[in-house]
Amino acid sequence: MESEGKVVVEMVGGRSTVTRCFSKYPLKFIVPNKGDSISCELTVGDGCTAVLTTQASTKVYKSMGSKCSEQVLETRIGSGAVLAVIPDPVTCFSTARYSQKQVFRVVSDSSLVIVDWITSGRHESGEKWDFDLYKSTNHIFLEDDQPLFLDTVLLERGSITSIAERMQDYQVIAMVVILGPKMNHIQSLVQEEVKRIMSEQLRGPPTSLGRQIITKSDHCLMKPSFIASASVFGPKGIGLVVRIAAMTTESVYRFLQHQLACLEPLLGVSPYR
Amino acid sequence: MEDGMEVNKKSKRATPAESNLQWSQWQLLDSILPTGGFAHSFGLEAAIQARLVSGPEDLQTFVIHVLENTGSLLLPFVYSATMSPDLETWYKLDTTLNAMLTNEVGRKASIAQGSALMRVAAAVFSEIPALKSMRDASHGSGVVSFHHAPIYGLICGLLGLDGTASQRAYLFITMRDVVSAATRLNLVGPLGAAVLQHRIAFLAEAILKKWADRTVEEACQTSPLLDTVQGCHGYLFSRLFCS
Repeated sequence: MESEGKVVVEMVGGRSTVTRCFSKYPLKFIVPNKGDSISCELTVGDGCTAVLTTQASTKVYKSMGSKCSEQVLETRIGSGAVLAVIPDPVTCFSTARYSQKQVFRVVSDSSLVIVDWITSGRHESGEKWDFDLYKSTNHIFLEDDQPLFLDTVLLERGSITSIAERMQDYQVIAMVVILGPKMNHIQSLVQEEVKRIMSEQLRGPPTSLGRQIITKSDHCLMKPSFIASASVFGPKGIGLVVRIAAMTTESVYRFLQHQLACLEPLLGVSPYR
Repeated sequence: MEDGMEVNKKSKRATPAESNLQWSQWQLLDSILPTGGFAHSFGLEAAIQARLVSGPEDLQTFVIHVLENTGSLLLPFVYSATMSPDLETWYKLDTTLNAMLTNEVGRKASIAQGSALMRVAAAVFSEIPALKSMRDASHGSGVVSFHHAPIYGLICGLLGLDGTASQRAYLFITMRDVVSAATRLNLVGPLGAAVLQHRIAFLAEAILKKWADRTVEEACQTSPLLDTVQGCHGYLFSRLFCS
């Protein structure tokens, strides 16, 4: 029987090395190099709509030495066009090093939805924020290189404080950017919803904080399992950024699914369904 | 021989300019300078209401995280402004920082503090006419937002402070203001606050060493949880602080 794929691993210079690698579609073998770098360019023409998503969560495995996995995405979105970047979360395993940069060049009437999120690792195995480096950059520029939104989140081991300490009990952090004229309606809905969720979570100032004994069983004194805040940005508030910290991945999937559902007519797909 | 000893003695004494600079520097660090820093809690009030900070140990951790985030995100702006304290650099830094402060609460706080500081500095340090002229040229123009970190660096640079001094000062006033907010939020008493401030000073210095002298392109945030929580300030039903 003819085989669809063949891989041969031999000893070369004292190291296991893939010396033959052949596959026929739809089979594909991926042979990781130490430190891999992927760069993509995407242009969405005037009036067009594009959706960029992932098949499963991006998993970053442990790195050898100080090499880093890098992903760079450069996009250009035209007049009246829509781009939605709605991936599954990145998961960095123990000692992984990962860096991603996404640049979005828009015009005044472009519309954009960006979801960028990360989970703490294989938390069932006790890996919580155990990676070496995670860096995510999202830049949005208007015409003439005018900066509209410049954000870089850097989580690195070996800082003065550990990543786990900075994250406390939260296992997922997410950022959602919603921008442009075609997103006005969803922006209002999301702002209202976040305000509603958080107003229930935030108690008034405690009465005698110094003498309070906090017990885990006292529900209203526990940290909220889902925290979100929404901020407007840009001239005339054309953009909205929602930041989320949650204790479970499921709660964020539910939030995204619920909040982005009304994009289905525009995108042709309901995100995170 | 006698001349040599004279020179030795003189070189140990500060010049009049250096001494006067100390007075200006201390005035910039003093909480009595009316810049309205006390209206801001750096997300502490929201963190308390979200039960993320509930006592003095949580507070210490919180302050360290705020300082580290200040180091990674804002020190590059202070540094760049100190090294080139001119109008063009200031405008560019202000525009960039405005796009980087994506948290609306933090962004508005930065603008409020920066505007107040510029107004006070232009009036106080009248021997530096550039401060007043820069402010008059920009006030109400809409070209610049008056963000705090670049203005702080600009003033330090025009006064003659070096990059390290201005960045250390910026971390100091941040620590000063968060700790002060903590006392007014009844998280710690005034004496406990002073003890805390001294206890973590060496960590603040380590943060300075790590994040000092970087370019604005390297600016990043290192505490997304803090950013998320500070953004919730607007949802607080009752609040003491603006941010």
